[in-house]
Amino acid sequence: MQIIENSKVKEKLYVEKLENGLTVMIMPKANIQKKYMIWATNFGSIDNRFIAPNEKEETSIPDGVAHFLEHKMFEQPNGTNSLDTLTALGVNANAYTTTDHTSYLFECTDNFIPALDELMDYVQNPYFTDENVEKEKGIIGQEIKMYDDYPQWAVYMNAMRNMYKNNPIKIDIAGTIESISKIDKEVLYKCYNTFYHPSNMVMCFAGDFEPEKLLEEVKKRLKSTEKHGEIKRIYPEEPGEIVKKESVQKMEVSMPIFVIGIKDSLDNKNCNNDSIIKKHIAIEILLNMLIGKSSKLYKDLYESELITGEPYLEYEFSKQYAHIAITGQSNNPKQVLEKLQEEIKKMKSNEIDLEHFKRIKNMIYGNYVKEYDDVAEICRMFVADYMKGINSFGYIENYKQVTPEYTKQVLNEVFNEEKTVISIIEKCTN
Amino acid sequence: MPYKIQEVKRGIKTHMIETNKFKTNLFAIFLSVPLNRESVTQNALIPAVLRRGTANLKTQEEISIALENMYGATLDCGVEKTGDNQTLKFYLETLNDTFLPEQENLSKKAIELLLDVVFNPLTENRNFKKEYVDSEKKTIKRLIEGKIDNKDMYAYNRCIEEMYKNKPYGLYKYGYIEDLDKLDEKNLYEDYKKLLNEAKIDIFVSGNFGNDDIIDVINENINIVNLKPREDKHIINTEEKEKKEKVEVQTIQEPKDVTQGKLVIGLDIDFYEPDSKYAMCLYNVILGESATSKMFQNVREKAGLAYSARSTYVRQKNNIFIRAGIEISNYEKAVNIIKEQLEDMKNGKFTEEDIENAKKYMVAGIKTVQDEQDSEITYYMGQELSGKLIYFEDYINKINDVTREQIDQIAKNININTIYFLKNNE
Repeated sequence: MQIIENSKVKEKLYVEKLENGLTVMIMPKANIQKKYMIWATNFGSIDNRFIAPNEKEETSIPDGVAHFLEHKMFEQPNGTNSLDTLTALGVNANAYTTTDHTSYLFECTDNFIPALDELMDYVQNPYFTDENVEKEKGIIGQEIKMYDDYPQWAVYMNAMRNMYKNNPIKIDIAGTIESISKIDKEVLYKCYNTFYHPSNMVMCFAGDFEPEKLLEEVKKRLKSTEKHGEIKRIYPEEPGEIVKKESVQKMEVSMPIFVIGIKDSLDNKNCNNDSIIKKHIAIEILLNMLIGKSSKLYKDLYESELITGEPYLEYEFSKQYAHIAITGQSNNPKQVLEKLQEEIKKMKSNEIDLEHFKRIKNMIYGNYVKEYDDVAEICRMFVADYMKGINSFGYIENYKQVTPEYTKQVLNEVFNEEKTVISIIEKCTN
Repeated sequence: MPYKIQEVKRGIKTHMIETNKFKTNLFAIFLSVPLNRESVTQNALIPAVLRRGTANLKTQEEISIALENMYGATLDCGVEKTGDNQTLKFYLETLNDTFLPEQENLSKKAIELLLDVVFNPLTENRNFKKEYVDSEKKTIKRLIEGKIDNKDMYAYNRCIEEMYKNKPYGLYKYGYIEDLDKLDEKNLYEDYKKLLNEAKIDIFVSGNFGNDDIIDVINENINIVNLKPREDKHIINTEEKEKKEKVEVQTIQEPKDVTQGKLVIGLDIDFYEPDSKYAMCLYNVILGESATSKMFQNVREKAGLAYSARSTYVRQKNNIFIRAGIEISNYEKAVNIIKEQLEDMKNGKFTEEDIENAKKYMVAGIKTVQDEQDSEITYYMGQELSGKLIYFEDYINKINDVTREQIDQIAKNININTIYFLKNNE
């Protein structure tokens, strides 16, 4: 196996690409009781148009299929459910779907091998019937309604819709009650056969493991598969411009909440990994310098009661989209946006404050190191970054190379007023 | 032993968890006092004011800069309801010195900063700074008003409030808006001084401190030297004190702007024996905590009524709370299915396998407590407040020793106290 070592966090990653195309990543963590694993496929909510290998026709699927499939994978032909089987082993099993991948996972202290057996068995053996698909619509319907009652989710999705005209990131991961009503077992099998091939998947382990031995255990449990052709994913053309600057929805909240979004260009696709990472680090530094806890703007906003606490700052990107999202709570979100834009202008016309820059950079370094304490966090991070074509260690390797000059350049390129949107959830008055 | 407790003075303890598993060191200070209506609001306000400035770092900005300079150390403050106590919590997490890009001694700096935040606030004319108190009163007001923002939690808190009307546990941990109005920089500072003289104080350090004696740093810190010994008045949190009376089931339906109904059912456990809490844990796992539980299997998997359907055991109060998010029109159906599950438990309709699975579930949970610094601290603090220390291994043994008869006995003594339903505005 290939060994990648990081001397700063003092961890090693063992990586192997198997003959069938599956990538396996293992990070041994001595003295930790918990063992964690994820098996993920590069199939998420935005992959809803594609040409399957060896086919000519395009397939277009209802919104929410990746997530629906995640729910149904646990069902077994003998009537049992793998979630029950894993739970009976004393193992904590789960699954989740994002925009670009679906993950099956468990964490355990004992019974690792029997749990590995079960997880690898159910992910490789789908079993869908008309009946079990119908029943799931009720459960997922309640999951969708649960999200409908979360103002945080509504405000985020509205921000996506303000930024993206065509990109499927603007649809809910779980779909809608209407869209899932169209899902049947045929579409599930079709997507399973297309996307659940080892060459489209990655496995990640963290815990007290011997990597070579573990790799053998994985190999033993892999079914033989035919070589898979290329999956052609079709994404609609997305204009550089935003859809609309502003949206307001009313819900029962005690105080308005907002997401400020800045749509970024998609040249990420053509960048190498290190340059994407550097850009990400620079944006994190900039966001913290602009509106983070020690910034002048934060102080002004807090003292004038325009915000109630630290806003949540994030740069989200995949191969298909990239944007900044700033989430917070305010009695006057539009004024927060105005002040932020003034601050961006000021920052653009001044030199970068070097002391501030260094401090934030150190803070970000600390945040990266902290990610390596929790085996669950490690697996999720390596899998999510893998889907973007990135190795997570790259953040710690590259942080030194992010200079004030480069950061200034990113500020000028990305923090564009024309591409800035705001989504607001206001109090309803009943 | 990697876990050492020392009494600094009467009512004040340090707790040291030595471990080299983590890249961070975690420091925590807890001030615990009995929960009551008179002081709940001021106690919620105090941490919010303290984090605004210390005598040395006078503004939030200065504190933030100091934290950023420590490679992004994080300071967290808050209040928690721990049974019939209210605990003010202060955490500071830093990188372990081993993982710094340049050699530095962060641990000492970190604990001193945290001690300053709790014990050495910025004052003006022997009061808190007025500006900070005024501003944080608004913050707490918003938190109280913000109760409604998370509908699941709102429903859960409302059910507890109805079950514990006019009792300490029914209080909201952030207090009450009408009480906030009475607080100012003067009386809040008096309350704070009283709190420092009366609260049970526990200081936790977890991590790898090399050769430094971090406990000495605490003992010799002027803030700690200045504290007086105190009579510890906190309420010992044990299930044995929770005598339940059979009550008529109260049913409450409340309309709000929701698309999904939130059902919460509060159960009384009218039973206590030494160590019965282990059997209660298992009863709860079988009923509704795990994916093989009766709730998950019957409400979600068989009936397809819910996505989320589970139960929680609140040891300190000898209660179980069942929670489910359901279609509003399915209320009757869901309540009936849940009642059937309780009946089945009473009639012993659970298998040996259910018990074994529940034991494995609990044991895995306990083992992994030690994999996270904050959950390990929370575990030991819970033991501290219950007045007896049980190590992880003993805990696991006691779980494994539970018999079917013990679970049966609990099942027969469980009664519904309150059925609360949050539904839509009609």
